[in-house]
Amino acid sequence: MDHTFPTGLYHPLIMNKPINHFSTRIWLVLIMLTMLTFAIGEEVAQGKAVMLSVLAIAFIKGQLIANYFMGLRYVSWLWRGIIMGYFVVVGGMVAIAYLL
Amino acid sequence: MNTNAALMNEDGVLPAEDLPGDFAIWIFILAEMLVFGVMFIVYAFARAHQLEVFNASQLTLNRGLGTLNTIILITSSYFVVRSVAAIKVNDARQSARWLLGAMALGAMFIVVKLWEFNEKFSAGITLETNDFYMYYLTLTSFHLMHVLMGMIILGCIVFKLRNGDYTAAEHFGVETGASFWHMVDLLWIILFPLVYIIH
Repeated sequence: MDHTFPTGLYHPLIMNKPINHFSTRIWLVLIMLTMLTFAIGEEVAQGKAVMLSVLAIAFIKGQLIANYFMGLRYVSWLWRGIIMGYFVVVGGMVAIAYLL
Repeated sequence: MNTNAALMNEDGVLPAEDLPGDFAIWIFILAEMLVFGVMFIVYAFARAHQLEVFNASQLTLNRGLGTLNTIILITSSYFVVRSVAAIKVNDARQSARWLLGAMALGAMFIVVKLWEFNEKFSAGITLETNDFYMYYLTLTSFHLMHVLMGMIILGCIVFKLRNGDYTAAEHFGVETGASFWHMVDLLWIILFPLVYIIH
């Protein structure tokens, strides 16, 4: 089901122009998430929930870059799984170290 | 959507594409990510043993410059996406322009990072000041080397693009270099919150 192609989604092989607009939207989301991370770092007294939120934001950013910038959205699920697994393992270990 | 239908199988599913670029670069990317991943985890556990030292030292970092560099790197990655899209429609000139933009942003990243290091060195901070600064300087310099290496790779691709070596049909090299550049971005996405933000 990963490669189902519903109306409104664009495939880079077929429609080059729309994917450009789509990548612009991904870029905007990444910038907004970065500003959110900065705001958290500046304003919020940090606790465990904040630490986990910042890691969750990093996870989302990593997925957006891997799937839409690196283009893994359209390759075998194994590669997406490896990158997602990497973020889960590294982020998870970091979280464990912080919660100790 | 008729063009899409031609590529779909009977279940309405598009076939998976091959990995963008050379398979070898993906093995290299995984190896690099593994090395950085181990360093990130080691940093987190080292911090757990010296909470006060790490928290106090981390507060001296310039989070504004760290955020600026994150924005610079994400934007450069976006430029690389546009470059790959341009060569896919055979526009080598535009593809080279986007890559030059990405390289300029890479240079900005390096300038900002050196500025930040200069701030720390001027304050008398070195690798030996404490464990936090040792990790901060080592992790960020190691990452900086990758930015530099990425810029050299992108520079070679620009040269080849201008030479007419890449087309819509053959742009393997562009995708290979792009994948490496995105990896540099991906690693910073973890490094930035880990070292600058969470405490």
